[in-house]
Amino acid sequence: MTVFLQSVISGILVGGIYALIGIGLTIIFGVMRVINFAHGDLLMLGMYTTWLVFSRLGIDPFVSVVITGPVLFLWGAFLQKTFINRVLNALPQNQILLTIGLGLIMSNSIMLMFTSDYRILTTTYSSSSFSLGGISISEPLLVGFLITAAITGALYWFLLRTDTGQAIRATAQDRDAAQLMGINVQAMSVLAFGIGSALAGVAGALISPTYYIFPQVGSTFTLKAFVIVVLGGMGSVIGATLGGLIIGVTESLSAVYIASGLKELVVFVLFLGLLLFKPSGLLGKTRA
Amino acid sequence: MDRRPLLSRAPRGFSVLGLVLFVAAIAALAVFPSFVKKPYVLHMGVVLFLAVIQGQAWNVVGGYAGQYSVGHAAFFGIGAYVTMMLLEVNKIAPWVGIWAAIAAAVLVSLVIGSITFRLRGPYFVLASISVAEIIRLATLHFKEFTRGAEGFLVSEIPTLKIGATEIEFFTKRPFYFAALGLAVLTIIANWIVQHSKLGYYFQAIREDQDAAHSLGINPAFYKNVALAISAAFTAAAGGFYAMFVKFIDPNTVFGLDISVQFVLICIIGGIGTILGPVIGAMVLVPLSEILRNPKGLVQLGIVSSDSGFVRFVEANLSNAHMLVYGILVVVVILFAPEGVLGVIRRLASRVRRRASSRGRTEPAATA
Repeated sequence: MTVFLQSVISGILVGGIYALIGIGLTIIFGVMRVINFAHGDLLMLGMYTTWLVFSRLGIDPFVSVVITGPVLFLWGAFLQKTFINRVLNALPQNQILLTIGLGLIMSNSIMLMFTSDYRILTTTYSSSSFSLGGISISEPLLVGFLITAAITGALYWFLLRTDTGQAIRATAQDRDAAQLMGINVQAMSVLAFGIGSALAGVAGALISPTYYIFPQVGSTFTLKAFVIVVLGGMGSVIGATLGGLIIGVTESLSAVYIASGLKELVVFVLFLGLLLFKPSGLLGKTRA
Repeated sequence: MDRRPLLSRAPRGFSVLGLVLFVAAIAALAVFPSFVKKPYVLHMGVVLFLAVIQGQAWNVVGGYAGQYSVGHAAFFGIGAYVTMMLLEVNKIAPWVGIWAAIAAAVLVSLVIGSITFRLRGPYFVLASISVAEIIRLATLHFKEFTRGAEGFLVSEIPTLKIGATEIEFFTKRPFYFAALGLAVLTIIANWIVQHSKLGYYFQAIREDQDAAHSLGINPAFYKNVALAISAAFTAAAGGFYAMFVKFIDPNTVFGLDISVQFVLICIIGGIGTILGPVIGAMVLVPLSEILRNPKGLVQLGIVSSDSGFVRFVEANLSNAHMLVYGILVVVVILFAPEGVLGVIRRLASRVRRRASSRGRTEPAATA
């Protein structure tokens, strides 16, 4: 029972960060109907930004979120304005290929700059944990989870309560109608891509104390983000939050009860099953 | 953007000029090694033919049937692993083993197809990626059977005896001819598919699946047929790759970048055409090979070994040939979504139109 509880809790802690990655992807998809295959590479950029400010300036990874977030926001906004904006009406395949290409450029440029060596961000608390009723909880994961929860809360507030947030949701619901209501959908798209990549970057910052940092780290997270987003229903922020937690717990449980090398395989098998039987996701309504 | 249905541009007739050029090109490539013996050139040729095979194979399902699989690494890897394991574990010669590899890939493609072809658009793309990832992760995990991340190394390819001639696979030369033959076969198969009833069914499904269905074409069945044909040639390419490179591991043959490479060859050249993958391969392969190994240019005498170019490439770009893929795909999608072939066609038709309008106006002016 302790083992079960232990793995559920560590699954939830990791799942919170997965949720952040998924929310970013789902906002981008919701507003632009573009599937961002470079999402994991944005996360990778977030990891490298964090690593840079940590190793050069000595800024703690959890504090560096305030740098990583804005940097990735600007980068995402730039990508949207320069590249993504031009293919909004193109075939979905071409949109996918464009983002794959952008992802390749990002990961390979980072490889040119910093080599493909694995970097480890060693903090004083990287491997520290505390015990709560016989269940050990990793400190960096817990802090990461709390920050994630705070950011997710702020994001919900932004999307639900502010005018800009409502404008983003309106654009996601019906781009043309939103434009007719006087919403600047161009600006909303830039904003959405900026927010999406900022969330990926922040997620990268939060996991950097516990993960290896290397240029190709993104592709696993891209795939995971898709699973999360499809699971929750594409475009649904609440769905992505739930999806992230579910995937985190699934991985953690299958690592314990099946085999640690197969945890991602289990996730993909579940994903295929989901695509077949409920492609609209757990919270989705319409079938695409 | 140009939204004309692609079907209207598909060549229907039998072009004598095309056939003559095709035969001439094969003949030229077949006698080529008699004149140029540098291993680097032959190596480049093999990699080029391999890319042509990959592109043509993907073209059947991605180009004609319009199903953008980003999971072709699954079939490529199965081809590579089955051929390799039959040779290394069971001592079965690769030219026998490759048939088992093809059969295995076709079987797997039928299973994969029956699952993923119920999905459309981006969902299909995601499903195809997941399948390849599942196979990659399983190959990494079940070490007792697949040796996991350790991979396989070719110890020795046996001598091939055809009648009295003995072919030994020590140099690049036999690989060059084998790859050329396989590429020619793949191109012919593609041509037959394109010009047969089957090909028209594929293209009808690509243009409008629901309309095709209402005309009595079973989309799920014909998509599966397209995938099976594609998987067969992809597995052949994979088996050949394993024997040529002599080492495989799960990440090099089942990786996502392999799947992306299949798509890129076609996108860059031009999707749904015979010439497209050939042009795509001719653009991609030299670029990435030169970046991977700039010393080859030295061997050719194009640049000297201490030239700034070689030193720059070796120091900075040798690990980043995928960067070139990335830049190419971004440029092609943004500026030439129909590929290099599309650009050539557009330029050609513009020149022709100008020429014909001049031809019409000039006599009028003199009259």
